[in-house]
Amino acid sequence: MTAIEPIRIDRWRWRIPRDESARMRTDVVVYASTELMEQIRKDQSLVQAVNVATLPGIVGPSLAMPDIHQGYGFPIGGVAATDVEYGVVSPGGVGFDINCGVRLVRTALTEAEVRPRLNDLVQQIFRDVPCGTGGEGRVRLAKGDLDHVLREGARWMVNNGYGHQRDAEFAEAGGALPALPDKVSQRAKDRGASQLGTLGSGNHFLEVQYVEQLHDAEAAAAMQLEAGQVVVLIHSGSRGLGHQVCTDYVALMNKVMGKYDISLPDRQLACAPARSPEGQDYLGAMAAGANFAWANRQGVMHFLRGAFQRVFGRDGRLQLIYDVCHNIAKRESYEVEGVKRDVLVHRKGATRAFPPGHREIPADYAEIGQPVFIPGSMGTASWVLVGRQKAMQETFGSVCHGAGRLLSRSAVRKGRDARVEQKKFEDRGILVRSETRDGILEELPEAYKDVDEVIEVVHNAGLAAKVARLRPMGVIKG
Amino acid sequence: MNFEILEHPADIGFRARGATVPELFANCAHALVSIILDCRDVRPTERFGVCADGSDYESLLVNFLNEVLYFVDGRRIALGRFDIGRLDENGIECVAWGEPRNLERHPPKLVVKAVTYHQLSVRRDDQGWVADVYVDI
Repeated sequence: MTAIEPIRIDRWRWRIPRDESARMRTDVVVYASTELMEQIRKDQSLVQAVNVATLPGIVGPSLAMPDIHQGYGFPIGGVAATDVEYGVVSPGGVGFDINCGVRLVRTALTEAEVRPRLNDLVQQIFRDVPCGTGGEGRVRLAKGDLDHVLREGARWMVNNGYGHQRDAEFAEAGGALPALPDKVSQRAKDRGASQLGTLGSGNHFLEVQYVEQLHDAEAAAAMQLEAGQVVVLIHSGSRGLGHQVCTDYVALMNKVMGKYDISLPDRQLACAPARSPEGQDYLGAMAAGANFAWANRQGVMHFLRGAFQRVFGRDGRLQLIYDVCHNIAKRESYEVEGVKRDVLVHRKGATRAFPPGHREIPADYAEIGQPVFIPGSMGTASWVLVGRQKAMQETFGSVCHGAGRLLSRSAVRKGRDARVEQKKFEDRGILVRSETRDGILEELPEAYKDVDEVIEVVHNAGLAAKVARLRPMGVIKG
Repeated sequence: MNFEILEHPADIGFRARGATVPELFANCAHALVSIILDCRDVRPTERFGVCADGSDYESLLVNFLNEVLYFVDGRRIALGRFDIGRLDENGIECVAWGEPRNLERHPPKLVVKAVTYHQLSVRRDDQGWVADVYVDI
């Protein structure tokens, strides 16, 4: 295939038509503004979206969200649906961080109440919520417990003293998918066991934020959100356990692809038929990894409650608004060209965004649509959205997952000093605590696209609707 | 050590060299460990068998490095020396030396999730063997 030239469909959408010489089985559709498209074209993400279009059994187009950037095999910010009967499942289409996701927690405190004690709060959270870059988490598992965590997800944590019953109900899929823990290798279990309840490093973080602006009063009321209210956003995933599950199955699928007569332009896309023993084993292990991630975010929230209690003498009545994953493959049904299809929706850096009335959303949100949380880059802004019907028609119920990276880690570090940058945040009223000095520099807002522009695209394309913009006050990261 | 860091928009990679394939694999292992932690003061007090198989040098290298990663991230071992034994395109046997990770002497740098096939290359040039490897962080 020669140079990729996306053709404009309308103000927010672009198409890369199917090209048989590139072995594409379908088109690529990209959601982006003119400005974002210019940035997207600078890395390999469109080539990767084209490669995804070669997957056997892909249904509908290979989709790219406005935060798309170069990943491994799949682009980050990509969505691909494959037929459950004759399509493939690709561990790379889920990613190494299985069920990396976001949970948003509301407090009963206002910005004015928290601001005077912000330093104490940030220090306390930093002490109580382990990042886990150098050591172990604080959740101790007895022999045999890990398999229960892998089967029961957030519910196991809640039943074992790490949270309230309501917490598990307000997570996507109830905080657990049907899983096969015995399809998770001992190596993956070794890597994960000591890391339960830890934040992780890289782009994972925990932010104390306040509601800066409401865009939809009705939806905000259903989420019990008010202007000036303090919330906490937790962005974390399945830690070493999920990473090893992906590693194990990419290796296995590379071995068996020949048997199934599959050849692909990039080995990182390694896949197997979804119905094959290898495909089924992966889906069972992936679900176990996803459950570990829900349990992990539940653990982080539990330690967060403790930190609020220590600082404010009460727990600030921390309640889970919702918990969404953005790295996952889920079996869902959609109408495609007038026909109902059962598909595996691979969301790699993309968030589920179901519309009002969908049976998989908690009753509290039935009338407003599923809450979607889009973390911006560290210290800028995050967004609360709700899913819209158009996402069901166009994007297999999916939207973006973040701002999307623009600069490499070394490019953003160049010529910058962590202490100077930390001071700059403080001047803007944002306290940052990081376990590693590079952690601050590598995740500076300059390294990312403008999250507001990304949100503008999904809002105007009708995939999701704006509810609230959140401003950070305190950042804790690995 | 014989490697340099490569750019990636979201993650990180390295280019390692070696006069021979075993030397190349050992240098790649060193590069990986040095991305994860400060490995200037690793004492070779314990030995670990690190073995992997593959269908060519590329898949062998990815599988071998993911095995090294398992020891460093899963078993919390700082590895500092890699004695490569048998090595062909289908398999590698290595004895790695190191000690339990110590926060003071081996300050953590980055958490590596996995070693990937992204733009992976193992090749020979006029100076010997070269590998480009990208890891997910």
